[in-house]
Amino acid sequence: MLPAGCSRRLVAELRDALDACAERQRRLERSLRACRRLLRPWEAAELPAAEPTPAPETQEEAPSPACTPSPQDLKELELLTQTLEKAVRVRKSMSKAAERHKALSLKSGSTAPSPATAASAPSRVSGQAGRRASETKPLRGIHQTRIPAEGLPECRLPSAGDHTCKGRGALATKPGPGLGDQLPLAAPPAPEAFTLKEKGVLLKLPTAYRKAASQNSRLWTQLSSMQTSDSVDAATNAKTQFLQKMKMASGWPGSGLSAAEVEAEAGLLWKACSLLRQRMEEELSADCADWVQEYHCLLTLEGLQAITGQCLHRLQELRAEMVGQQLGPWPEGRCPRASGSCEGRTDPTWSSQLLLYSSTVELQTLAALRLRVAMLEQQIHLEKVLMAELLPLVSTPEAQGPPPLALCRAMHSLVCEGGERFLTILRDEPAS
Amino acid sequence: MGRRRAEQARAGAAGALPDAVAALSRTLPAGPSPETFRRAKFDRPEAAPPLWRTLFLVLSPLPGDCAPAPEAPPAPPALEAQVRLVKRALRSQGYPRRALAQLPEDGARGSRELLLALAWLLARGPLLERLLGRTRVRLGDEVALCQCEAPASPGPPAACGGADGPVDIRHLQWLMGKLRLQWRNLMTSQQEHCALLGKIHSYTRGCHSDRSLGHLSVAETEMLRDPEGGRQLLRRLESENARLEAALAWRRRELVFWQWMDTVLGACPLEAAQPPFLPRIPESGADQLEMVAQQLQALHEELQGAVEPRRAAWEARVGGLGSEWSALQRATQEAVGQELAALRRAWEQGGAPAQPHGSCRLVKSDARASGGPGLRAAEVIGELRSREACLEAVLRQLQSQCRQELARLAAALPGLIWILPPGH
Repeated sequence: MLPAGCSRRLVAELRDALDACAERQRRLERSLRACRRLLRPWEAAELPAAEPTPAPETQEEAPSPACTPSPQDLKELELLTQTLEKAVRVRKSMSKAAERHKALSLKSGSTAPSPATAASAPSRVSGQAGRRASETKPLRGIHQTRIPAEGLPECRLPSAGDHTCKGRGALATKPGPGLGDQLPLAAPPAPEAFTLKEKGVLLKLPTAYRKAASQNSRLWTQLSSMQTSDSVDAATNAKTQFLQKMKMASGWPGSGLSAAEVEAEAGLLWKACSLLRQRMEEELSADCADWVQEYHCLLTLEGLQAITGQCLHRLQELRAEMVGQQLGPWPEGRCPRASGSCEGRTDPTWSSQLLLYSSTVELQTLAALRLRVAMLEQQIHLEKVLMAELLPLVSTPEAQGPPPLALCRAMHSLVCEGGERFLTILRDEPAS
Repeated sequence: MGRRRAEQARAGAAGALPDAVAALSRTLPAGPSPETFRRAKFDRPEAAPPLWRTLFLVLSPLPGDCAPAPEAPPAPPALEAQVRLVKRALRSQGYPRRALAQLPEDGARGSRELLLALAWLLARGPLLERLLGRTRVRLGDEVALCQCEAPASPGPPAACGGADGPVDIRHLQWLMGKLRLQWRNLMTSQQEHCALLGKIHSYTRGCHSDRSLGHLSVAETEMLRDPEGGRQLLRRLESENARLEAALAWRRRELVFWQWMDTVLGACPLEAAQPPFLPRIPESGADQLEMVAQQLQALHEELQGAVEPRRAAWEARVGGLGSEWSALQRATQEAVGQELAALRRAWEQGGAPAQPHGSCRLVKSDARASGGPGLRAAEVIGELRSREACLEAVLRQLQSQCRQELARLAAALPGLIWILPPGH
């Protein structure tokens, strides 16, 4: 078992890494859902925007005063019939996609509510539809149904109109299985279904949006250009002076480095360390043919030692700065991690650039590489943390003898192989 | 330019300051009213809570909503929590004034200090632009080229994320395995996402009013599919436009604000230099500086171990060399000096040339035109590949360092054979 402090820190780091990964996954899934929704057949965009209301509301009868006379009822029935008819046609055209939904026992209300296009359906099924229509009142599954249609006119029916308009938002491609048995098959595939694939090129952005979007990009460009042209402005001078005065007016001895800057310097020192180490190994493994080379090697190693000493010195300064920052009445606790090294860059671009790609494969390569870079950065961070925590456990001379082999083996796999492979340790008993 | 100068010349006029403050308050998220600013100058207590809230919103990391239609933002935490977070965040940014740290946690007073803190943040960098950029309405399908917007662990720092007691190392192995699996899932989902995006882009070819874009993005198509969502998007766009205009107005008028802030600072009593507190021992372990310190220390010791015998051997030999020795000596010293200087430059200059930064809108285009605006995917892929190679080298180097360390350990344990996994 690992010591408590070490365990706590390592588990926290790994959990952080897992959480970050999970967050990416969540965002990706959200985008995926949006994309999938767009690629399925749509409901009509031109319909008046009646929000899909939850089921209980769609059950409300909304008895309008005109509802009671029976000629009205008959008219409604006919329109409902036509609606059902169309629904069947639509359903048949999408039966392939809807195979798996056969099991769902949606009520007949699943296809009833749609504003009828009066011109369309012959009333072949008026008898059946009549029965159906009376069952459409409890429109339970209504918000799960969808009838893709284009160019549907406004709701005509005064009373059932309430149902239909409310139900418009509630459409689905899942047909009620009961309908299929009773209504005759409709022959042609529904021409009203809108799919992005076939009709995408017909879309047009609304004018209000276009105006707002172009104004938006114009304002962003203006803002960025104003930002960059600011260098010798009077306002900039005033700001610098203000910051100076703030610093002098405070009782603060430190140089005021932010945590992000300290982290950046620590990163540079890491890099320095690895470069120095690499150089050292090169020198140590090189063979010196004559005394000139030997001297060269000696001087290089001494120089590396001097530089390492300077780095350590700088590190002490940074450490003192960090400790100094923690002094005083500031509250405890880890601060939310500064978001990467890009905060400190001098010239962030806020206006979106364009990234042009030519094929899906290219886009996939790009995305995969981005993820791989992010994963490698995370792996390197974890590697550093594991090294710092685990190696001291085995390399410091232990009072209780050599470390347990299981620990060594697990540690080797974690820090040397990224947890992917294991080594084998054999006990070599001397033949006796 | 002339108009700006003229406006600044009129900056002394009475109306300019309220305009500037009004513009500032329109740009800030939950901006305090101009009246609050005025009260804060006189350190009125009722101005404190709105300023705490503004600072909290400015300093807290963005709740990661990249969705086109963000869900309702989480309710802001209580005032005490806001106060604590603001203090911590300011400390980590290097805020100089101690008086803010000493303000009470119930947020009841200190509005002048808060005003100074807000001004300090504004003065240090393009704060407003950065804030606006964070919440920017994304109309296109965006791809982030750097890791700036990478999701960190969401929510408050996971102080409770660690284990409660000692754990077995196998638990760590399990967590690592889980992490690897999650990444693999992520990669697959990502590939699917790209394929769908490609389809949507090609199906809506030619629809966009902007010729350089050519096709619709997911957000725009969604807007056409769902008119209500479209209206929400439009509303957000319009409110962002209003904030952008306020930011531009602020930029034009801000000089008079800074002149006013000087007077506010002047009204504050001077902070006496405090006697230093006893330093708290910083928590050792996984802290970045500690890790580097360990590494550098180990390297230093290794170098020392290599240098001392060599120097001793050299000193013993140097007597037997001739007179041409001193010229060669100088030449060697110079050569070594230059090599080491080049080595220093390799890390001090911050390494890789300016990487592509920010996020880009994806546009599918068959045009071979190399003169158009925007980055080409092929270039970005190239840069990413070189970055990948770089990172892989770093990782391998760290791993080989560990391997050497453990090999040293293995040598100290007799009677065992260590069979490394294949691949080495």
